[in-house]
Amino acid sequence: MIFRIGKMLLLLLGAYFLTFMQSYWHGPRLWLGFQPDLTPALLVFVGMTMGAGYVSSLALAAGLWLDSLSANPFGISIFPLFFVGWVVFCIREKIMIREFMAQIYLGVIASLFVFLFQLILLGMLSVSPMIGWEMAFWSLLNAFFCGLSVPLFSCLHKVFRRWFSNSPYEPNKWLNNNRQIVRGKD
Amino acid sequence: MALILLLIIPEIARAKLKSTIGGMFLPAIGVSSAGHNVLGVLSEKSPNPVQDEINNQSLISDSKLENIQLRAENLRLREAAEWGLRVPWRTKLAQVIGRDSFNWWRRVKLNLGSQHGIRSNQPVVSIEGNLVGRISEVGLKTSWAVLVGDPNCSFSALIKSSRQQGGIVSPKRFNSNYRIVELTYLPNDIEVRPGNVVVTSGLGGAFPKEIPVGQVEDSWLSRDGLYLEAKIKIHADLNRLEEVRILTDY
Repeated sequence: MIFRIGKMLLLLLGAYFLTFMQSYWHGPRLWLGFQPDLTPALLVFVGMTMGAGYVSSLALAAGLWLDSLSANPFGISIFPLFFVGWVVFCIREKIMIREFMAQIYLGVIASLFVFLFQLILLGMLSVSPMIGWEMAFWSLLNAFFCGLSVPLFSCLHKVFRRWFSNSPYEPNKWLNNNRQIVRGKD
Repeated sequence: MALILLLIIPEIARAKLKSTIGGMFLPAIGVSSAGHNVLGVLSEKSPNPVQDEINNQSLISDSKLENIQLRAENLRLREAAEWGLRVPWRTKLAQVIGRDSFNWWRRVKLNLGSQHGIRSNQPVVSIEGNLVGRISEVGLKTSWAVLVGDPNCSFSALIKSSRQQGGIVSPKRFNSNYRIVELTYLPNDIEVRPGNVVVTSGLGGAFPKEIPVGQVEDSWLSRDGLYLEAKIKIHADLNRLEEVRILTDY
């Protein structure tokens, strides 16, 4: 139970940090010309590796945080993020989620889907942001970054698991090899 | 469920909730700026005796560079101070601490809020006195300014030489260059030349009269031929804003 709460807190802390960086760190905007949005990649990763509760909580928190730092109507980012996380969660048994390339493809598709879904929702609410070919190019570039981020999040997850959980029991591994009884001839 | 709830609640409650949730980032902003300051102090104080010789040489070149930068900064601040004395408005200096999370909006977050006397719709200008935008949302300690070129920041402007009026709007097609906007609804029988200076007209009461906006780069007749449109390059570099002035009394 405590492990689950800790995991959830760590996840929310990661989303908080990601959202904060997106708004308050100007570096990428100066180097790339735009601000990458990696929250779809985080939702894909959570959908791949964690439960439905994590997907819902993260989509809600990340969506609200993103919209609170934006001129978007409040709450509009929740549904696209939730949808992406939920779809990945539902089909994860059927796809090769451990494959590096599969993770990249999922990140790319999720990012493009969230971008389009947000635009459709904005259009439905009669809000007209600035859109053009350059924005489409940026969304493709952002999708590429999201694709790369999914395996990165997976690696980070593995590292954290190694740090915060007990080492797995391996019956054939001895702490002191000298004490192992080796049977058979040399 | 949460989304439906958010859509159902009244606009005022939604705005307050948005402001409250946005306030969750205040501790992170505080930690970030404090960390930045500490790093700055540490980098000044940490001695490295092994590389003293190399350091001395680099220090000399650094100090030369710093001298040039300080001269430029001094000039900039002198201009700003002179501008502050020249204009009849009262201003407050604010720092840009954040930007909109989404690339399709042009907004910046400022470190002054309602407790510093900031109100909605107050004009925002650059240090040099060029128009930057207006205050769109005000929190207790921070506020959001919508920048010139955002779809939510349209206003009346005029060409300084000919006194012909039009409206500044965001470009029809998204342009990654933050300094490009459009001046539209100009009479179709006038001559608009590249280099013509554009200033605020004061109409509508959104901005005081004669604040410099930018200069004309190109002009063309609208599709229906009823009016002229012009491409304007605004003076303020909106992508590199660090400090701005908010006109509190104008």
